Amino acid sequence: MLPAMAKIQFFAFILLYVASNCISVNVDNISSDVRIKNVDRSIDISSQLVKISSKITFENAGKVPVKQFLLAVEGAAKNNLAFIGARDSNNKDLRLVETTVKGHDNVKFYRVELKEPVNAAASVVITSDAVFSKALLPHPTAITQQEDQLVKYNSNLYFYTPYKVLTQKTTVVLNTKSVESFTKVKPFSQQDGNINYGPYSNIEPFTEKELSLHYKNNSPFLTVTRLERLIEVSHWGNIAIEEIIEIEHSGAKLKGPFSRYDYQQDHHSGPASVRSYKTLLPASASDVYYRDTNGNISTSNMKVKKDSVELDLRPRYPLFGGWRSHYTLGYNVPSYEYLYHSGNEYLLKMRAVDHVFDDMQIDELVTKIILPEGSTNIKINFPFAVTRLPDSLHYTYLDTKGRPVITFKKSNVVENHIQDFQLRYTFPRILMLQEPLLVVGFLYALFLCVIVYVRLDFSIHKPEHLKE
Amino acid sequence: MSLEIESMVRYASPINPAVFPHLTMLLLGIGIFFTAWFFVYEVTSTKVSRHLFKELLLALVAALFSGFGILFLLLWVGIYV
Repeated sequence: MLPAMAKIQFFAFILLYVASNCISVNVDNISSDVRIKNVDRSIDISSQLVKISSKITFENAGKVPVKQFLLAVEGAAKNNLAFIGARDSNNKDLRLVETTVKGHDNVKFYRVELKEPVNAAASVVITSDAVFSKALLPHPTAITQQEDQLVKYNSNLYFYTPYKVLTQKTTVVLNTKSVESFTKVKPFSQQDGNINYGPYSNIEPFTEKELSLHYKNNSPFLTVTRLERLIEVSHWGNIAIEEIIEIEHSGAKLKGPFSRYDYQQDHHSGPASVRSYKTLLPASASDVYYRDTNGNISTSNMKVKKDSVELDLRPRYPLFGGWRSHYTLGYNVPSYEYLYHSGNEYLLKMRAVDHVFDDMQIDELVTKIILPEGSTNIKINFPFAVTRLPDSLHYTYLDTKGRPVITFKKSNVVENHIQDFQLRYTFPRILMLQEPLLVVGFLYALFLCVIVYVRLDFSIHKPEHLKE
Repeated sequence: MSLEIESMVRYASPINPAVFPHLTMLLLGIGIFFTAWFFVYEVTSTKVSRHLFKELLLALVAALFSGFGILFLLLWVGIYV
């Protein structure tokens, strides 16, 4: 009897194990023991992005230690979310895992995993950073050349969370005093370029109340609709980087005609347009080129600074709402900055995306890494979730079977995504000789042809000295 | 088995890029000299005075020096093969 029971138990365990593995998405529960003592939130909407930084004091009101908390993003905003991160009080990054909670299908949840559990009645301070793109909508949607750009921002007046919040304050950073309208829920105050809301006390979980702001925002509304970044590694000591950029002014569309005369005459004309912007390159960048399909764009300046190379790029024409531009930017960096090795094992540690302009937003990023011919055992670690595209081959000078190309894609990229990927590969050093030997072989074959040619006799009559 | 980045050293070119121009000049110079010698020998020697071994040796030396010279020329001008 007993062995049979043990068998059933064993199978039940296996079944449970299999069932738990089948659920691919994480499911979490909202702990009723957790309360939020205080939230200090800052919403920066002075640029084209919405940057929310919240200082949250979690309190463990239960009896057992708690090791994780949930961050929530409301359904209305979750599609605009470009980046979310959390730091502890020592400014160390905490691990975030995307998860779901039963009964809240429309909400995006992130589980924050603490390094040390919070004991009962203790509290912990966490700073969460979130960046939303395309959350500021131009209103009106079309303006003339002389007009300022007005944008509307809709969000939640209260900190959106699955826990009860005891007290909370919100500061909205606008950097302008010209506000057409804003939500007025007491207590609030407006000073300088900021609007302060709160403190509000005892807000229940998942409370939503509209926060709406309509204000002037002339900061550059530039979207990189597509950025293709090519990284070509050469073991002769160089890494070549080329970025093919498609850019669009995504603010209020230009209504009516464009007068180049007014634009040139009056510097305040076209306040919402983009004349130029700055791109920061690595300090070791050299041989920089900036061109488009017509050739070199001469309206650019390069300044070599201590820790970066600053490029002041001016498109061929100013960019107004809805206008587009397309260009290529390339440069070289020495390999010792980013490539490490130990014997035949190599490690490339480079930025998956680099700075294009301040507060940038990129709709689609495609990064291609071209490795030397003959590289094998390619493994790559990404700093964030990306879509890996199928590997391909690239043919360039002195190639025979092609160089392996690793490609990956990511949409909705912001500055917080400027992080390093790590790519490992094996490359036998002797293969570096393949390229010069190809040239040597080709030349030798040419000389052999000459040797054969001088031995051929095409003359139709016998030479004089052979005539008897 | 994957190595940690701490245990790896930075990878620099086996040949310092600063000497690419000098290497190009030297190797291509020698290469062109032997190429010239080879062609002069080919056109001046007659059927009787020609030695196949000397021709092959001249061709090999010329190809070797010119080949490496061309590679460093490519690297010098920025075609990092």
